[in-house]
Amino acid sequence: MSRLATFLTRTAGTPDRAERFGVTDLLAYGYLLFGVLIVLVPVAWTFFSSIKPERAVDNFDTRLLPYAQIEAEIEGQGPKPLWVHTDENGDEVLVFKAGPTRRETEVARPEAPDAVFTVPRSSLAPHETISVAVENYLDPLLKRNGQENFHFFTYLYNSVFVTVVATLITLLINAMAGFALSKYRFRGRLTFTILIVATLLIPASIILVSLFFVVWSFGIFGSLWGVIIPAAATPTGVFLLRQYMLTIPDELLEAARMDAASEWRIFWRIIIPLSLPALSVLAILSVIWRWNDFLWPLIVLISDPRQHTLQLGLTQFAGEFNTDFHYILAMTVVTLLPITLVFVWLQRFITTGIATTGLK
Amino acid sequence: MSLAGSLMLGLLLAWGLGGTVWLLTTRRYRVTQVPRFAMDLLGFPVELAQRLFGRGGVPYALLLPNMLIFGLFTFAPMILNFYVSFTGGSSIILFERPWVGLSKYVDIFACESYLVPKTCSNAGYNFFTGLYNTLWFVGIQVPIMCAVALITALVVNRDIKGRGFWRAMFFYPVMLSPVVIANIWNWVLHRKGVLNAGLDEMTGALNALAGLSGFDMVMTVLLAIVLMVVTERALRAGAEPSTAWTALFALILALLTAWANPLSLLDLSGSLWLGLALGAGLVWLVAAGHRSARIAIMVAAALAALMLLSIQFSTVFDMGRYRPNNWLVTPNTGWPFFWLVFVFCWSHMGFYMLILLAGLQAIPRDLYEAAKMDATRPLRAFTRITLPLVMPTLTVVIVLSLIRSFQIFDEVYLLTGGGPGRETYMIVQNIYEVAFTNSQPDYGQAAAGSVLMAVIIAVFTFFQLWLTRRQSEL
Repeated sequence: MSRLATFLTRTAGTPDRAERFGVTDLLAYGYLLFGVLIVLVPVAWTFFSSIKPERAVDNFDTRLLPYAQIEAEIEGQGPKPLWVHTDENGDEVLVFKAGPTRRETEVARPEAPDAVFTVPRSSLAPHETISVAVENYLDPLLKRNGQENFHFFTYLYNSVFVTVVATLITLLINAMAGFALSKYRFRGRLTFTILIVATLLIPASIILVSLFFVVWSFGIFGSLWGVIIPAAATPTGVFLLRQYMLTIPDELLEAARMDAASEWRIFWRIIIPLSLPALSVLAILSVIWRWNDFLWPLIVLISDPRQHTLQLGLTQFAGEFNTDFHYILAMTVVTLLPITLVFVWLQRFITTGIATTGLK
Repeated sequence: MSLAGSLMLGLLLAWGLGGTVWLLTTRRYRVTQVPRFAMDLLGFPVELAQRLFGRGGVPYALLLPNMLIFGLFTFAPMILNFYVSFTGGSSIILFERPWVGLSKYVDIFACESYLVPKTCSNAGYNFFTGLYNTLWFVGIQVPIMCAVALITALVVNRDIKGRGFWRAMFFYPVMLSPVVIANIWNWVLHRKGVLNAGLDEMTGALNALAGLSGFDMVMTVLLAIVLMVVTERALRAGAEPSTAWTALFALILALLTAWANPLSLLDLSGSLWLGLALGAGLVWLVAAGHRSARIAIMVAAALAALMLLSIQFSTVFDMGRYRPNNWLVTPNTGWPFFWLVFVFCWSHMGFYMLILLAGLQAIPRDLYEAAKMDATRPLRAFTRITLPLVMPTLTVVIVLSLIRSFQIFDEVYLLTGGGPGRETYMIVQNIYEVAFTNSQPDYGQAAAGSVLMAVIIAVFTFFQLWLTRRQSEL
């Protein structure tokens, strides 16, 4: 008790000030908790909604867990949802609705479907159980129940293809450019550097129209290459790698030249292995950019459903079957899952990597 | 296949076949050295450049692919944009497009009043509506996001437990794609969605609570105790009043002022603002270490006690019936715009927070130690040490987020589609729709819009850099 009293009445200015949990800490933790709730609650809510059965999603059931109303096979009437009827004495009886829902609703017991009696609507509560609606996920993935238009695996393949190929090309050519700008002295080095800075300041959306002309005249409009190639050279990547490669000692290169290694082999055997940390940061950034890319793929790929990326497929899906919220939510979760897993796995690496090197 | 396409194919063939032949004739490979051969083949142009021009030619060969892509897909379109904006028609073959001079720009600028888009021609109406919405969006969103990112970075930079966890959590939305973000928020903000349901339940609970007998008394006593504790803490902390406790006190004071509504005696509204102003003034007095701070807190406490006695809590907490709001659809409420700003901040804040955090961590610790030795107040340490030293990073963040939010398209297009009406119709959506979704695509018009947008972004960026030129030179 006395310890509690000292805890409550302690004031600042006493020697143990540094270790104590002051009001500033309280405010800081309160702020952080509030922020994390704002970040996580919508995502978590989407996930919990996506495993609810269709009926619960359509009725906007705001309970956290997936409740499903139990149905029973009624003779001559097919499956009917069951309700719990509580009468005046507090006794509970399982019934199904035999007529339309009114203030006085006609109901009957499943054992005796013909013995219809009326009860007040307020005495009826749905007879529910918790069940995870796996079909929300399986129907679009396996193209069942009229979900033939959602080619999930095509979209996934396209997305993965674009992401992987674009990232590989980005890594290779940006590393080459970074190597040239960091390890060679040549005429026009400053010009090239300034040109690359300039591209950093040209936003992609203001060259949209004429980029469309260029891509179209190259004949890659409407194909995945039209998404991959224009975005392959990134000024951010060149800078990141150049800054990193500047820290590699020149003596290593000189030693290799003594051994008559060609410049390309120096690049491949010395520079690339030594700049792996920067390369992996760029790889992660590139994967995020390409996986989440929306506007440019929308322009290039929209006309051909077989070329859609996952993001486009999901947009079309949400637009086309606007009412099937349970499928949309499930597919949203499927789309955010890979990137979430990558993030959970590499989060420390990603955040420190971007904080120290990445700028865009 | 077009001309350029076949050229590319030819180039690739020449690379593969020519490289193979050249490599096999000049070097020897064993069967086990297939990976090495593949690597050499990949860099064959570089090897060739070294053979032909010596080491001096190598950097150019290394830069070639990158600069080729930059040139073809960034610089060429940049220049082509001007050309396209001077041509008309809907042909996608450049040479078949008729030259129309400045008429696309004239279309846009055919306005009676540039500030009222309704008086413009059709093209001008769309362009200026998009432009003004975007300017509003940038003007509101960039300061809010930078402030929130800076505050979050400052909090995360404190000596707190689980820093990596908090940092990662704030960064997580950056990883999500716009489509996913739009679907999530559409679901949350739906008229029957969880936000409306939650607000409904909260109002119901508050109403029920306010309806309880004795609620007034309990609430008054409770707040009185809280007020006493907070005032005592604020005044007792060391020799001078503590800023953090005063902030808490100011918050309570603002709420009390809003509830007691003293301005209603004068038939004026806006007591909340009065309360906020009072609270802010108090915090400033204390944070600046003013001599009269102690007296001001005491006066404010007396004022708060007086107001506390006058408040009828049962009417303050009686919210009435909650009407579900159709957040993204109802026109003339400002909600769609508000949610756009919110969602955009939600999804991008983490990235800027990380950059600012890196800037904060680069500030040497001894500066703060020295300030502590001199008994500097935290606010002064913030304005004299933290802010000037983080200013270069903050400038970068402001410029980047400015460019980024000027280009807002994905979130708007997927959440509101520019609606209701044209309330959230942004400039990139205008460009996109004019060029790609109209039945008669008007590339010239869209290119003219892009050129104008580029000019505006450039002006903004340079103005921003000019304003902060002293800081960014640091």
